[in-house]
Amino acid sequence: MDTGRHRLSLLSCAVAAFMILGGRPMAGEELKSPRFESSVQPLLRQKCFACHDARAKQAGLSMETRDDLLKGGKSGAVVIPGKANDSLLLTLVTSGKMPMGGQKLADSEIETIRKWIEGGALRDAEDSAAATTSMAKMVTEREVHGILSAKCWVCHGRTEQKAGLDLRTRAAMLKGGKSGPAVAPGKPAESLLLKRVAAQEMPPPKLQEQYSVRGLTDSELAKVTQWIAAGAPADDERPLEFTAATDPLVKDKDRAFWAFSAPQRPAVPEVQAKTRVRNPIDAFVLQKLEAKGASLAGETDRRTLMRRAYLDLIGLPPTPEEAHAYLADSDPKAYEHLIDKLLASPRYGERWARFWLDAVGYSDSEGGSSADEPRPHAWRFRDFVIRSLNENKPFDRFLTEQLAGDELFDYKAVKEYTPEQVDLLAATGFWRTAPDSTYSTEQNFIPERMDVIAGQVEILGSAVMGLSVGCARCHDHKYDPIPQRDYYRLTAVLTPAYDPFTWRAPSLNCGGVGAHCDDNNTRYLPLLVPAERDRVQSHNAPIKAKIADLNRQLELKAEPLKQKMEAERLLTVPAEIREDVRKAWQTPKGERTEVQKFLLQKYEDALTIKLTDIAKADEGFRKEKDDVDKQIAEQKELLLPDPKIRALFDLGPDPPPQRILMRGDPTTPGGLVAPGALSVLSAKIAPYAVPQLPYESKTSGRRLALARWLVEPNHPLTARVMVNRMWQHHFGTGLVSTPGNFGKMGAAPANQAVLDWLATEFVRQGWDIKAMHRLIMTSAVYRQSSQSDAAAQEKDPDGTLLSRYPLRRLDSDAIRDSILKVAGRLDLTPFGPPDATKQMPDGEVVGTGRKNAGQRRSIFMAGRRTSAITLLDTFDTPFMNPNCVRRAQSTVSSQALELMNSDLVRQASRYMAGRVIDAAPDNARAQLERMYWLGLARAPSSEELGAAESALPAIEREWVKQLQVENPEEPVQARAHWLAVATLCHTLLNSAEFLYVD
Amino acid sequence: MVSRRDFFSRSVDGLQGAALAYLLGNDLFHASPALAANAQRLYDLKAKTPHHPPRAKAIIQLFMNGGPSQVDLFDPKPALTKYAGQPPSRDLASEVRAVRETGGLMPSPYKFTKHGQSGIEVSEILPHLATCVDDMAVIRSMFTTHLAHEAALFLMHGGRILGTRPSLGAWVSYGLGSVNENLPAYVVLDDPKGPPINFIQNWQAGWLPAVYQGTRVHSDGAPILNLTAKEEYPSPIVELSRNLLRRMDTAHRDQRPGNVELEARIANYELAARMQLAATDALDLSKESQATKEMYGFDDERTASYGRRCLMARRLVERGVRLIQVYIESQIWDNHNEIRKGLEYACGKTDKPAAALLKDLKQRGLLDDTLVVWGGEFGRLPIAQDPGPRAGRDHGPSGFSVWMAGGGVKGGTVYGATDEIGYRAAENPVSIHDFHATILHLLGMNHRNLVFEREGRNERLTDEFPARVLDAIIS
Repeated sequence: MDTGRHRLSLLSCAVAAFMILGGRPMAGEELKSPRFESSVQPLLRQKCFACHDARAKQAGLSMETRDDLLKGGKSGAVVIPGKANDSLLLTLVTSGKMPMGGQKLADSEIETIRKWIEGGALRDAEDSAAATTSMAKMVTEREVHGILSAKCWVCHGRTEQKAGLDLRTRAAMLKGGKSGPAVAPGKPAESLLLKRVAAQEMPPPKLQEQYSVRGLTDSELAKVTQWIAAGAPADDERPLEFTAATDPLVKDKDRAFWAFSAPQRPAVPEVQAKTRVRNPIDAFVLQKLEAKGASLAGETDRRTLMRRAYLDLIGLPPTPEEAHAYLADSDPKAYEHLIDKLLASPRYGERWARFWLDAVGYSDSEGGSSADEPRPHAWRFRDFVIRSLNENKPFDRFLTEQLAGDELFDYKAVKEYTPEQVDLLAATGFWRTAPDSTYSTEQNFIPERMDVIAGQVEILGSAVMGLSVGCARCHDHKYDPIPQRDYYRLTAVLTPAYDPFTWRAPSLNCGGVGAHCDDNNTRYLPLLVPAERDRVQSHNAPIKAKIADLNRQLELKAEPLKQKMEAERLLTVPAEIREDVRKAWQTPKGERTEVQKFLLQKYEDALTIKLTDIAKADEGFRKEKDDVDKQIAEQKELLLPDPKIRALFDLGPDPPPQRILMRGDPTTPGGLVAPGALSVLSAKIAPYAVPQLPYESKTSGRRLALARWLVEPNHPLTARVMVNRMWQHHFGTGLVSTPGNFGKMGAAPANQAVLDWLATEFVRQGWDIKAMHRLIMTSAVYRQSSQSDAAAQEKDPDGTLLSRYPLRRLDSDAIRDSILKVAGRLDLTPFGPPDATKQMPDGEVVGTGRKNAGQRRSIFMAGRRTSAITLLDTFDTPFMNPNCVRRAQSTVSSQALELMNSDLVRQASRYMAGRVIDAAPDNARAQLERMYWLGLARAPSSEELGAAESALPAIEREWVKQLQVENPEEPVQARAHWLAVATLCHTLLNSAEFLYVD
Repeated sequence: MVSRRDFFSRSVDGLQGAALAYLLGNDLFHASPALAANAQRLYDLKAKTPHHPPRAKAIIQLFMNGGPSQVDLFDPKPALTKYAGQPPSRDLASEVRAVRETGGLMPSPYKFTKHGQSGIEVSEILPHLATCVDDMAVIRSMFTTHLAHEAALFLMHGGRILGTRPSLGAWVSYGLGSVNENLPAYVVLDDPKGPPINFIQNWQAGWLPAVYQGTRVHSDGAPILNLTAKEEYPSPIVELSRNLLRRMDTAHRDQRPGNVELEARIANYELAARMQLAATDALDLSKESQATKEMYGFDDERTASYGRRCLMARRLVERGVRLIQVYIESQIWDNHNEIRKGLEYACGKTDKPAAALLKDLKQRGLLDDTLVVWGGEFGRLPIAQDPGPRAGRDHGPSGFSVWMAGGGVKGGTVYGATDEIGYRAAENPVSIHDFHATILHLLGMNHRNLVFEREGRNERLTDEFPARVLDAIIS
């Protein structure tokens, strides 16, 4: 009791101190700072009052008084005392955005405002105490929630309510927990919440690291105190009276923009070059060309078209046999059959999955730090994408599964998953791609969690809707009619699963100070497939036994040393209690008496001797330990991870309310919003509507509602964005060249008729992706030559009108896969965990490959954000941040260095030469011809053959000289020939023709 | 007309090469706010005209990764002795990383004395840099906003705590290009003993074209990845195969007239060959005098490695490299425990070579237009971490010191101040954005106008954050 009273009086003092000092002990600072009426108001009167006096109040903001500024307008408070850099007023005047249309403020004026804010935004003749009292009126319930959510909700919130206490609502605070009400309105000194926080007992310092929370700052404590002192007033908040579809911030004229209204199927135009029209695409393209007096280039030759189709659809060149067979096929439908064959190849899904994975930001690592933790189970999502494309899953279904696969069946009610159900859950890996630092306790605070969610919203926007939705995180979109609340409507769709206050760690290997992870607190679902689980367990069992055995051996060796050290350490215990401590220590933990436990409190740490302690003390043991540790590490490498599904799923009912966050800042919460979609796209389609799902999983249905809204047949963007993406990968540039931005700042469509016709055709054919490939690839536009005459180039200088097929460099994946393929080193093992990469001493990152089996396709190599395979990286494999809707295409000298000098390409050349020689051992000319067919899918011209035939013996002679010096005892001729052919193969792999597609 | 220079290195945001020609020399600083439909943008390392006359033509960033302790190096705080052992304030406590190891206020074990004409106080463990204070502007009021290395490094290099943005160096090479057609514009000299946290992301181009990312140059062994093959073909074979490739590519190009990109590719192969010579020469330290080597500390095992990198930095500046970042052994400044041991090790390695670099640049007349910047991603707290004999200091983001010298910087200046205990920037706080804006300003660029269009948005290094140029430290 005594202690309790004492604490109480201490707290009263603390509260009183806050009321007086407002937690700002720097009175000297304040004396110097400018004051409102004398220094700031005159300046504002001159520059700002025209729009922001108490009458005009543009954007709801009056700037007449200091308190008006603190209150703010539509964008929230514009001045945050003491925090100039966080104050909107300063941001806007510094950037010159305000005064709108007027002269920018002078630097000296800006400096006055800065100093005034930094000094606490004081009025004339006001000291900090008075300021604190007058500002106290300003603290709202939602601000208090903003503070408590970040610091308290993890234990007193949605999933846990320690001591029966819930701090999520005012009512719950008044009700309190086991120890009684947490808040006594009007009586800060009696409010348990404040007592515990002021005494720095809450949040408990012991748990702060592990949970990534910190104690309240002075100003936060002052705010909560002031709110309670003012009677803990409730916010008078009413939900919005409108939905996204009727949001008054978006007007009908906004929806008139081409991309925001549904595509209308255009009539197929009559064109002059009727004979060139193979399907409607050609008519639309020709219409534009003919308007400029141009036309399509001639049809390309069969060989070129064949190579183009192979590299486009499967990302690999044809083998010589495939090339010969196709060129010999006289069937008039041979080309169509080729397309069918390639679309049916498992290699097709592997190729086109890459583009989708780019768009949604797939990566095999978390990013966010140098550890760049691997994402060991992410690959199931990659496999889902490949399988879906190979089986030609309709795009509407494909998308729905990714957004809400877990809401398509009651996964909690299922005891064992079918392969389809595994895929449905793995599909939600769509929502788990953004860079994510939150596996580290040091980067798992609320802002970092918000960044993860923001990354996903940005990906949804740019990959699926073709809009830069992310721009509306901090303010209404500057160019497109996307109000800030639309952004938070989308965020609210995710809140049941992505709850920043009930966060799931992204990785089993979490790091940072105080890190503590367990299986139940991650974002994996168990893979309920007994066969696979058993397979992993039986693989791991002997390895785990071996590890346990190694550990046991080490413990045994350590035992005598340990006892010796224990005895030594006991000597440091005062003699009076030494014997008691020794006895207590030797008593098994569970059997110790209260007295023994008390005794040990002080000495337990010292007496606990770890193997590392022994290793430090004993050199011989250290060596043994290092050796065993190394063996254990080797064994651990062999372990397969427990099969899991990396998924997104709701964390249970009752998600936190979603608020608009002013300037994107979680500490300045604004009004409430309900889940929904973008208003500008919502007017003419079935509205976003959350279905009732009677599942055991208690999933909210919010994501399923979003998926259904997106695949509405009349949706203005979903189909357009997808067909544009397909076009981009067939022609290098999309019909809209900014595939992630169809908005006002994006590029206008080069040919809207083609885009709209394809989009409507896509939906009409049941979102059939392979049908779109056939349509595009059988068009005359696709089949034309990459060469055109000077006149045509003048009329269509950059090829935007498609008067020729664009010459393109292969992308990074196609380059690496093609090199390995022609070298005969491509391992086509599909699916499963990615193959590892490693960094060589010189810094080159290479795939490790499998024993003698070569290397797998690039899509199956671990794509970590910080260590992309150098060959891929050099040729513009994107760094996922968070995603990539269009790869850069650079031409830099490091590419030449990589292809000329890296071991990888030199080795591939030798393998290629071996294959070439083996195909015709005694015939140099046939070997050279084979080399051309293998690398370029054609025969060499007579000049080319002549050049190669004259270079070969010259190079061979030099190799002979070299080998005679290196290994005089060995025969050199055969080896010199092989190396000479390899040199030529190396040259060919460096050639523009190998790396470009016509 | 496309000159060879244009092909140094380039990146094309799109495909149709024919469009490139008319866009050559496009002024990237004044890109229109709206993306012209289908415009193909060209990116290269041609030297660009700055916004205003630059004070510095090049910058050497001596990056002190880990977070050097301001109160033990450049920011004397006698009050800490007075308050020794007292518990931290609530605000300070809310910023502690390792909460359970929190101790009381801890004074510096080092003496500070005044140096030079300016009388700037420097700790006794930086005896060499102390002799350079009259060339330095010491900023004692830097602050950052994150307590973890990863996020703070991203902020320091890219302006945001997200690891997705282009680094300062990438912006500089984007904005200014290179004046040496045979060397990269942005060179990173990392320590063979261990890379900094975030590793290559510290010098990434982010979403800027890849031509602007930092090129890692090794101070041991082959300087640039794949600059030469591990086992080169006999030189006549190199010659023969190069000729053959040139013939193949020339024929290929001639059959496809109007394709600038194919031309660029051919030129790049020629450049790669020239680079082998230029880079080898630039990094060949055997050409330096014995006196110079001693000055940089080659004769002492502690300073030799960092000394090599500092000297390489000077040679690269002489050859027109725009930005050189010199890193030091992984987390050497991250002194969580045994602060004395850790700090003396870090200072012992860097103090002499860094001072030598300043003096060497000065004696060669290079310091006037070379900006040298020293500092880490944050500072350290004035309290003890894990109090006791092994006490160290935990990360301190709210106030720390950096210095700049040369290139338009007013020497002998102290700017800003932390509070009484050296915890928080109190007087003239300098944000990372202010720091970036100032560096860009000295290099002749206005941070508001150095923009890159990305999917319709104008991106900047300083983003939408308020940022000011620190006029007080400019001469």
